[in-house]
Amino acid sequence: MARQVEVDHNRCEGHGKCVLAAPEVFEHREDDLSHVLVDDVPEALVTKVDRAIRVCPRQAIAWRD
Amino acid sequence: MAPISPEALSALPSGINLLEGRLFQANQMHEAFRVLRAEAPVHWNPGTDRFNGFWSLVKYEDILHVSKHPEIFISSKGIGGSGLRETPPGQSGGSSSIITMDPPRHVKMRRLVNKGFTPRAVLQLEPKIREITNTILNRIAHRDSCDFVLEVSSQLPLAVICGMMGLEEEHWPLMFDLTNQILGSGDAEYQARVAPDKVGTFEGATLTAADGNRRMNGFFREILEGRRIHPRDDDMVSILLESEVDGERLTEGDIVAFCNLLVVAGNETTRNAISGGLIALCEHAEERARLQDQPDLMPTAVEEILRWTSPLHHMTREATEDQVIRGTEIKAGEKVMMWYPSANRDEDIFDDPYHFDITRDPNDHLAFGFGEHFCLGAGFARAEVRIMFEELLRRFPDIRVTGEPERLRSNFINGVKHLPVTFTPER
Repeated sequence: MARQVEVDHNRCEGHGKCVLAAPEVFEHREDDLSHVLVDDVPEALVTKVDRAIRVCPRQAIAWRD
Repeated sequence: MAPISPEALSALPSGINLLEGRLFQANQMHEAFRVLRAEAPVHWNPGTDRFNGFWSLVKYEDILHVSKHPEIFISSKGIGGSGLRETPPGQSGGSSSIITMDPPRHVKMRRLVNKGFTPRAVLQLEPKIREITNTILNRIAHRDSCDFVLEVSSQLPLAVICGMMGLEEEHWPLMFDLTNQILGSGDAEYQARVAPDKVGTFEGATLTAADGNRRMNGFFREILEGRRIHPRDDDMVSILLESEVDGERLTEGDIVAFCNLLVVAGNETTRNAISGGLIALCEHAEERARLQDQPDLMPTAVEEILRWTSPLHHMTREATEDQVIRGTEIKAGEKVMMWYPSANRDEDIFDDPYHFDITRDPNDHLAFGFGEHFCLGAGFARAEVRIMFEELLRRFPDIRVTGEPERLRSNFINGVKHLPVTFTPER
């Protein structure tokens, strides 16, 4: 089943670790926050997103249940 | 690999006392941590009549676990420092700053200022940081030696944070001295204001920190008074004066405590990353040559400098409920200390952790902590370290350390007080 990922903008401070880990999925925008670029994360990118979740220093990223 | 002396081995692990600042001053903590990781990864350090006992966490994953649960492992009962006193030093009138605040208030207070620390804010200030760096280097450029800490590494972060706070340059030396008193209170060099017979004692340290905080807080009360009369809109002090949390203005005590934290945290830690970075580069000639040949390696070199130096030795949390970590039961009310230099040399996480590798990748070090309390100033710290080494190595490519670094006696700050260097003057 396709999975979605989300960024909690109350926590995100734009440190940019997710963009380095998964540039296909996360984008740093003008508001200095990370934004998710895709609705469903393709299977091939799941590992990268897992890494983005792990390295986010603010724990702002999570898979949507 | 860092050697472990036979004496150290025979005395361990029960003989390791992580309350002892001299273990860190002698730069021998990495040997102690290596033994603890292997033999006692969750290690009880008994207290004394002055300090509470505490659990030492030395494994990366355990420290990460505690960092990810700020509602269980709380900061409001003290985060360490020169001792493990119940109330962290320096808070006036019961006010506390975000470093000793728990969810949910912590994130609300943090959001008042975090716009000033975003990547965009850092990027905008980069030309200014480079200009300040070169002004600092101009002052030593005609000579062939200096005290790198007093004249170079301390000056950049001091100027940047004081500039962000809107403080006049004439006040910067006072901010430097008070920071040393507050964070280096256990070191006799910073105890000049206590009676001679108290220098080097526990009481001397307590008095030194209290005096530093009293004067720092008094200074900021005066600054606030001035801002009320002559409002400004371009500095952190003014932002805090105008801020509200849950519909209420911050109290003067809140603002003063916040300013104290910003100044102290902003100028001490980055100073030591820069000093420690130069020491590391001088001790690893091949890596240094690689960096000087390929300056575009600087971003990963900065991360390795941060991992290698780990400017902050520990943060403390208090468990609010019984927890089990790595099979060891930690009771509600007990302290846990997260030892960052140990996490950053954990053999289970980093390949060849005792190798200084300026291209290390991945390098998920915990030098800035993790999660709720992740260092607010991380972006500025990274930029300051990077720009300093870009300019320093460009202008003084043969700069080298010529004597033993004089280290701070502290189990909290991985401080370097003095660092003699020589270099070829510019023209």
